[in-house]
Amino acid sequence: MTLVLKGVMQSPVTPLKRDFSPDYETFEKLVDFHVRTGATAISWPHHKAESHNLTIAERKALAEVAIKTVAKRVPISIHVSALALEDTFDLARHAQASDADAIIAITPYFWKYPPEAIYGHFVRLGTSIDLPLIAYNSPSYLAGVEFTGEMTARLIQRLPNFVAMKEASFNSEKFFEILRAAVPLRPDFAMIAGVEYLLPSVALGGAGSYSSAGAICPNLCVELYRSCADENWERARELQYKLSQLWLIFRDQYPSSLKGGCVIMGRPVGPTRPPLPTASPERIKFIEKRLDELGILQTEPHGW
Amino acid sequence: MTAFKFGLVHAPLTPFSESGVDYERYGRLLDFHMRHGAEGLALPMHAGESVSLTAEERQALVEFAISHVGGRVPVIVNVSEAGTAIAASLAAHAKRAGASALIASVPYYWTPPQAMLVEHFAAIGEAGVLPFFVFNSPSEMSEVEIGSPAVVNLLDRLPNFAGLIDSSLDWQYMIEVVTVARAARPDFQFVSGTEYMISAGAIGATGLLSPLASISPRLVRELYNICRRESYKEAYGLQEDAAILFRALRDVGVPGLKAAARSFGRDCGNPRPPLPALDAATAKTLVEQLALVHSMKVEPRGWT
Repeated sequence: MTLVLKGVMQSPVTPLKRDFSPDYETFEKLVDFHVRTGATAISWPHHKAESHNLTIAERKALAEVAIKTVAKRVPISIHVSALALEDTFDLARHAQASDADAIIAITPYFWKYPPEAIYGHFVRLGTSIDLPLIAYNSPSYLAGVEFTGEMTARLIQRLPNFVAMKEASFNSEKFFEILRAAVPLRPDFAMIAGVEYLLPSVALGGAGSYSSAGAICPNLCVELYRSCADENWERARELQYKLSQLWLIFRDQYPSSLKGGCVIMGRPVGPTRPPLPTASPERIKFIEKRLDELGILQTEPHGW
Repeated sequence: MTAFKFGLVHAPLTPFSESGVDYERYGRLLDFHMRHGAEGLALPMHAGESVSLTAEERQALVEFAISHVGGRVPVIVNVSEAGTAIAASLAAHAKRAGASALIASVPYYWTPPQAMLVEHFAAIGEAGVLPFFVFNSPSEMSEVEIGSPAVVNLLDRLPNFAGLIDSSLDWQYMIEVVTVARAARPDFQFVSGTEYMISAGAIGATGLLSPLASISPRLVRELYNICRRESYKEAYGLQEDAAILFRALRDVGVPGLKAAARSFGRDCGNPRPPLPALDAATAKTLVEQLALVHSMKVEPRGWT
C-alpha cells in the first residue's frame, strides 16, 4: 500500500502482567481499540511503550502481535531504536520480514558524536531495508543531538524511502526549519508532531501527530485533528488547551501516569517496568479528579 | 487600563553617533516605522541596545520618543534591568513621561527562582501603573523561564498585569501559559516576541513584537494581517521568508540588524561596545543572503 501518514496516529503502551511479563492478550485488545477509535496509523514501541525496558526478543514477539492485530486496516510502523545499533538493524530486518509498513528510528542514544554521524547512521539504516523510514527528532531528550533542515534535505535526496519525521522539539523554529527544507524536495513528506500539539504544528503545515493520550481520550484527539484540518481554530484552541493539560499530567514519569489513567478508563494495562514507577493509588485518584474536571470521564469511551 | 491592545509593535534600533544617541536619526527612524505599519513602538528593546544605555540615556530616549511620536501610536517602554529598584524607577519614569505600557524581562544575570521573579515583576508593575507585559525569552536569559504558576501569582497581585510576550517558541510552554492565564483572566494578552506568527497565532497570540520590522516592515505587516485572520495556509510563503530572515539575523544579532539597515539606506551607526560592528565580509554575506529572500525585494529603501 502507499503509505499515508496523516491525522492522529497511535503508539500503544505495552500492557504488562502483575509479574511485569508482557500481556499479549491485553496488547491485542489495546491495539484493536486504537484502530477502532480512529487511529490513522499505529506505531510501536515508542518510548511510551517502554521500548528501553523490553528485551530485543520481547520487542520482536510483540511487534508480530501488533502487526497481526492491525491486519492491514491502517499502516503500522515499528520503532527500531535501541542502545546498540546492531540491535536497531536487527529490529529493522525483523520488521520487514514481519510485514510491517514502515520503521521509525531516533538519532542514536547516549553518545556525543558529530552531526555527520547522524547522516551516516540514517543512510545505513535506510539502505538496509526496503521499507519506508520515519526519522525521529527529539533534541530535548537527547542533549541537543538533532536533525537540521540541511541534513534532512540531504537525507531525502539520498534515501527514496525517507518519507516522514516524528518531530518532538515542540519548537516552532526547529519544526518549521525541517518542514520547509523537506517539502520542496518531497512534497508529501509528513512532519508529525511528537505528541499531539496539533494546533501549532498543523497550522505550520504538519501532517498530524503521534498521540500521547489516545488510550485515554481518543475522541478528543480525533476531534482536535479534525478542527485543525478544517481550520476551525477557535474550536481547535479549546480542544488543544484541554489536551495539553492532560499531557502535563502524563509527561511526568511517562508513561506511568498514562498507564494509571488507563485504569480509570476501564482499560487496565498493568504496571510499568522499573526504573519507572507504577502509578500509586493516590496518583490514580489525582488523575481521576483531573480527568473528571476536564470532562474526559463524561465524553470518552469506558472499557474496551 | 485593560483596553490597551498590543497589536503589531515594532522594536526600533537605536542610532548612535560618537557623542551618544543620534536623536536626529532616531526621530527619522521612528517616523519610518510609523509610516510602515507599526501600531505601536517598543523601546529600547534588545534590538535597540537597551542593555548598553545608561539609566539617564534610557530616560532621555523615552522622553524624546514620546514627544516625537506625539500620540500617533502608543509608546511601550522596556524597563528590564538586573536590579528591581532600578527597573521600578524606570517604570515610574516611563509613567510620568507618558508611556502607554511597560515591558520587563526577567532580571539580568541573577537567574532568580520563580518566587523572586514574582516579587521583581510586582515591584515594577506597582511602580509604574500602566498595562504591564512580561517578556519570556529563556534562550537570551540563561534559560530562566517565567513559569505559568508565577504568571498566575502575578495576576493575583497586579491588576495592571496585561500579558506575556514570548520568544521561547516552545509549544508546551506557550499553550500552558495561555491556558492558565486566560482561565484566571480571560482578556490576558499573549504576544509573539518572534515573527513565527503562524504557530503563535494558532495558539492564541493577538499581538506581535517584531525586531525584524527594522528591515522587513512590509513582510511583517502582511504576515501579521493574514495570521490575525487565521488564514494560516495563505501565510505559509511569508512565514517561510520570515523564518529565513530570522535565522540569518539570529547569529549576527544587533550588529547584523544594523548592517542590514545600513544596506537598505538607513544608516543607524555602529552598535555600542562590547558589540562590534559586523566585519565587511560578514556584512556582505548577510546582505547577499537577504537579497535572495523574495519578500525583501519590495521592502522600503531609505528613510521614507
